[in-house]
Amino acid sequence: MLRITFTKVLNGAKLSPKHIYVATRAQSGEVKKPEKVEVFIDDKPVYVEPGTTVLQAAAMIGVEIPRFCYHERLAVAGNCRMCLVEVEKSPKPVAACAMPVMKGWRIKTDSEMTRKAREGIMEFLLVNHPLDCPICDQGGECDLQDQSMAFGSDRSRFTDIEFSGKRAVEDKDIGPLIKTIMTRCIHCTRCIRFASEVAGVDDLGTTGRGNDMQVGTYVEKLFMSELSGNIIDLCPVGALTSKPYSFTARPWEIRKVDSIDVLDAVGSNIIVSTRTGEVMRIVPRVNEEINEEWLADKSRFAYDGLKRQRLVTPMIRDCNGELKPVDWEAALLTVAKVIKNAGSQVGAIAGGLADAEVLVAVKDLLNKLGSEALCTEHTFPLDGSGTDLRSSYLLNNKIAGVEEADLVLLIGTNPRLEAPLLNSRLRKGWIHNELQVALIGPKVDLRYDYEHLGDDAKVLKEIVSGRHQFSSKLKSAKKPLIIVGSELLERADGAAVLSAVQTLAANTPSQDKDWKVLNILHKVASQVAAFDIGYTPGVDKIREGNLKALLLIGADEGAIDKSDLPQDCFVIYQGHHGDQGASIADAILPGAAYTEKQATYVNTEGRAQETLVAVTAPGRAREDWKIIRALSEIIGAKLPYDNLNEIRCRLEEVAPHLTRYGSAEEANYFKQAEQLAKKIKIQLDECTPIDVKIKELQDYFMTDAITRASPTMAKCVQAVLKQKQSKY
Amino acid sequence: MAKYFGIDRIFTFLKTIKETGGLKASLYKLYRMDSLRPGQLVGTDKYGNKYYENPHYFYGRNRWVEYAPYYGMDYDGSQVPAEWFGWLHYKTDLLPDKDPSRPKYKWMLDHTENLSGTPGQYMPYSTTLPKIEAWRPPAK
Repeated sequence: MLRITFTKVLNGAKLSPKHIYVATRAQSGEVKKPEKVEVFIDDKPVYVEPGTTVLQAAAMIGVEIPRFCYHERLAVAGNCRMCLVEVEKSPKPVAACAMPVMKGWRIKTDSEMTRKAREGIMEFLLVNHPLDCPICDQGGECDLQDQSMAFGSDRSRFTDIEFSGKRAVEDKDIGPLIKTIMTRCIHCTRCIRFASEVAGVDDLGTTGRGNDMQVGTYVEKLFMSELSGNIIDLCPVGALTSKPYSFTARPWEIRKVDSIDVLDAVGSNIIVSTRTGEVMRIVPRVNEEINEEWLADKSRFAYDGLKRQRLVTPMIRDCNGELKPVDWEAALLTVAKVIKNAGSQVGAIAGGLADAEVLVAVKDLLNKLGSEALCTEHTFPLDGSGTDLRSSYLLNNKIAGVEEADLVLLIGTNPRLEAPLLNSRLRKGWIHNELQVALIGPKVDLRYDYEHLGDDAKVLKEIVSGRHQFSSKLKSAKKPLIIVGSELLERADGAAVLSAVQTLAANTPSQDKDWKVLNILHKVASQVAAFDIGYTPGVDKIREGNLKALLLIGADEGAIDKSDLPQDCFVIYQGHHGDQGASIADAILPGAAYTEKQATYVNTEGRAQETLVAVTAPGRAREDWKIIRALSEIIGAKLPYDNLNEIRCRLEEVAPHLTRYGSAEEANYFKQAEQLAKKIKIQLDECTPIDVKIKELQDYFMTDAITRASPTMAKCVQAVLKQKQSKY
Repeated sequence: MAKYFGIDRIFTFLKTIKETGGLKASLYKLYRMDSLRPGQLVGTDKYGNKYYENPHYFYGRNRWVEYAPYYGMDYDGSQVPAEWFGWLHYKTDLLPDKDPSRPKYKWMLDHTENLSGTPGQYMPYSTTLPKIEAWRPPAK
């Protein structure tokens, strides 16, 4: 419904500035750019492209016009009227956010008329806004508060001391994440626009008009989106606030630390807010290349999982078979003795939350002991080029590059729930850029239309050989993308799938020389770093290895069980949550979670980013690589690094891009990878349909040790299941 | 004459040493209590503390306690039981056993010394939730 095609615009669809924007963008490739027009903002000349709004033109020379409803990433609504400015020779002030500039306009953003208009609007907004600020969670970071200080009147005409007149609106229940206090709503409709444009869930809307207007869901229902938390950030007042965060902290008393999210492979940039040594909330940080300014619900609300089920002290299994807390000395001595006795028969499995530092430390330690049994929990095909060439395991075209594509083929993935922010990009391309999407895999709800090619592996084969009707589309596309889910490659015939996809990508031409067709979408944050450092995907080595000691680095997905190991194998679990891995362990070494350490993570596009310490690790837990370093000294195979800088130098030796924070290292050798892939002997298993684990929203919330420990995530699952029962 | 030259003090000193139980015992007492005072033993409580009086000294210094030997150097004021407290602090001149008005009931608790700084000290429990909930291994 939001999809305004070029033809529609030509056929005379109504021309709001947004539509003009779409049209110009669609044309810009072919048509010569129109000349810039000159306008004057506070008598300063500025040249802008035609179609630019007054507000954007003012922003270009650093004049910020106050606004409530306008948001750069949403369609223009123009209903709050806060951005009224005076234009010379215009009888009325104009709404800057919605009015395209005309040649020679003289705009006055600080004239008497402008100020008067703002004061008036402010007064109207405050007439029906409760004086809640002292008990409002938005207090201190509220746009209405700030702007009433800056632009509002300095005296009140409010005389209703009997409290008879202020509008009151019933609160809505839209789920366990978002608290609504609808009386505070100023009807900017940002949440409604976000829901229908970015999230693709058309649940929010308005009822009534004028003074009776209400924002809500019409009938009481859950706001069923994996991006729902973003409407909290968007709300300029305290009408939508975070339910788990409510009444816990004030913005001026929290300490903010820039960090990276690790609960999916996207690596969203986040700000961790802490107070009294406790994570109070997590909000997104703008990074245009990754998450823009959005954040997925799991990343935003799973922080209470960091406070439950934590490993706070080392433990050793005693003679009765029970795990008993011990001090570090006893734990390290016991573990070191076991590893020393095991000699080279020691292995390690890296889980999905392990950082690059601990991965390299464990690898160095085990290699020193003469073992090569270093595996990742999530498997990946090893045949052909395997993990030797980075191009075969990265999202090569980058997350932001997805927007430019005109045809995307998704294979065995559900991007909406595996990487919600990638899906929001896909949806953005679908709305603004005529992007067409096709999917091979189970029919899942992606919140945009796509061509479902079936979940048969045969379809993939047909497309590769060019017999399928979709092949011609793929060939004729200007910027085609193939995104393969890492889960599909975990199948027994994963190598054949990867080989097929590599062949397909090589045979798919694109207009842009730097365009990369082949993209792999991972599900866990540690995978790319582990491959870069040289871990073997999959736990087969561990099963065959006849090991005497096994080190689990946060491996909680149950890839290996006690029954897979020899009877006398000593299992050491190092991690931060008591989950599947800890329960099978004979010794537990408590590590730090991602908010508690300065550590490197590489996201699915191969971009190295680092988390920073927001709070200290609880109890006796320590930073992971330091535990390995201490252990190595007791074993007698001392690792040559004592501080973070030294281990980062070691990381740089192994793979230089691991310390180039913020930049994604390009991968290459597509051709070589494809040629190597041709040599593999495994045949594509056509009988097994292509499947994904996370199909529906209720499967999304609890996927790893942190989210499984989070009560908020458990509530979300319950709420979604309940909503599914509901008739609405 | 002897008094005029202060020689009698030497005799008093020697007498005090003798009463204390010899030179060694006197030196220990001096080390333990910082003074060596002659006095009349007026009573002993059930914990073995001895109470002395010497009206020769001025008011405020003429009653004192010698803590039971097993306290060693770890004596403190809270080891004086309540019934002797009053006499020691001049609230009454009647010794505990001579005072008919003192209540004596079966339910009265035994005296305890101040246990601060020892394992027996009182520790109030926290009423706030812990910030971090630790994982408890599943029972076998």
